[in-house]
Amino acid sequence: MRELLTMWRDTRMIMLVAVVAAVYAALLIPFAGFVVVPGITAVRPGNVIPVIFGIMFGPAAAWGSAIGNLINDIFAGTFGPGSLFGFIGNFFFGLLGYKLWGNLGPLSSGVEPDFRENTIRQLVEFVAIAAAASAVCAAIIAWGLEVLGLFPFSVLGTVIFANNLIATVVLGPPLLYLTYPRIKEMGLLYPDLLHDEDVPDVGLGRARTAALGLLAVSIIWVTVGIAISLGVYNVEFGVAQGETFGQGGATIQIVLGAIGFLLVLGLTAISGERLSRLLD
Amino acid sequence: MSSSPSLYADRDTFIHRLNARSKLALITGLFVMAYSFTDPVWVFVPLAASFLALVAVGGWPNFKRLSFIVVALFLVGFAVWPAFTHSGGAVLLSTPVGTLTEREVLFALGRSERIAAFIIGGLLFVTTTSNEEIVAGMRSLGIPFAFCFAVGTALRLFPTFLGSANTVRQAQAARGHEVGGNNPVTLLRSYIPLLIPVFMTAIRNVQTQAMALEARGFDTRGDRSFYNRQPFQTVDWAVVVVGLVAAVVSVALRLQGFGTI
Repeated sequence: MRELLTMWRDTRMIMLVAVVAAVYAALLIPFAGFVVVPGITAVRPGNVIPVIFGIMFGPAAAWGSAIGNLINDIFAGTFGPGSLFGFIGNFFFGLLGYKLWGNLGPLSSGVEPDFRENTIRQLVEFVAIAAAASAVCAAIIAWGLEVLGLFPFSVLGTVIFANNLIATVVLGPPLLYLTYPRIKEMGLLYPDLLHDEDVPDVGLGRARTAALGLLAVSIIWVTVGIAISLGVYNVEFGVAQGETFGQGGATIQIVLGAIGFLLVLGLTAISGERLSRLLD
Repeated sequence: MSSSPSLYADRDTFIHRLNARSKLALITGLFVMAYSFTDPVWVFVPLAASFLALVAVGGWPNFKRLSFIVVALFLVGFAVWPAFTHSGGAVLLSTPVGTLTEREVLFALGRSERIAAFIIGGLLFVTTTSNEEIVAGMRSLGIPFAFCFAVGTALRLFPTFLGSANTVRQAQAARGHEVGGNNPVTLLRSYIPLLIPVFMTAIRNVQTQAMALEARGFDTRGDRSFYNRQPFQTVDWAVVVVGLVAAVVSVALRLQGFGTI
């Protein structure tokens, strides 16, 4: 996790953060994609950026996605308290591709993400990563906006998860197929840019455990959060949403979110990366 | 969308002249007010204050530009929240599917007003604060320079890439490429020929701009100076106090039981 801070010493990583942020913000606005609810949600092709850039640019893509979403909020006029959760959610949206590729044990393909060999296994691995990244992003934002009392968890949790997942799964593989070899040739993959001492030195077992943990926690958090919000698991429908502290959402939702977020933070702290070893 | 992506309105109003940090404190005070209450009458106060301030600083065109989003979010919030709260009071609507009570309507209205207050408050901030002031304000709040530099550079590159994205779209359309399809998957796949040129053009900038920065002795660890540093004046302190008082009074009133339904 140290590399998330030490990467700020490298000029090219800083420029990658800026470029990823600008591209992400720039593609979110003009390419509206498939509008689900006008003004609220659309399946945007720009949502593919955090995951594929996360796999290629590592921590720079995580920061870039977070800043890009913030810029989108500023220019789209939706800047507000919810932007903080959008920042954190998109940070993890970009981070999970970096942490998970190659570390998912039986789900991993064991090769670089270029979709030129072992294609089916790469596709399985990519879908798993896209699901985890979309889920953690959706859970963090839905949790935050529920705490702020803006929208129930089930509304945003479902919408964000579906939007992110569809765009990433549909566009990710062909975009990686076309861009990965070129970016590798340009020497801009994160293993080429990070200093050797900044690349996490984590054993395969620990990295795999952390990666599978991140996958499980992300999916469980968003699923249970939506289920609670919809009144499943014998939790009374609505559970007095909006009554907790007189402000935000249901107590159980806030507690679930706090536990989920702490688990994601903890697993991220002990996790490693794999792409640098796959390149060797 | 308008030709300029920026929502900043270059005016010389009282709020424009404030330091970015004091504007942030004022907006935060309004956010806390909107967050503290659930009664739509009480939530209307920060909403109306934000809206009047926005109009006063020349933000009406921005509001018109985004009114569609504000109205849509307001209506969606108003439609979904009754399903997530307890019923109470008089029954306003009874259908075979369920009933709609007075409490549910007031609760949903309060939540929708809160959403609108947050959006309009944020819009007030970006209408009166330029990109450079946002970055300088972040730096003066103690955020590391490298991060501020990345945000500043992204804000500067964003319009360039936005223009590039639109140019690529037009160029591909001129070559006969059609964006569309009957389902989301087909539609999304039609974006691939548009995304690749934008990606690669942007990524190519990284190497050259990094080299240009290093050639000029770029170092994120040294102390930095700003050409246009805004002083934090007495009036800024006064605005911070106003924001703080608004927040504290709102929380105190809420704890006394005011502003709830």
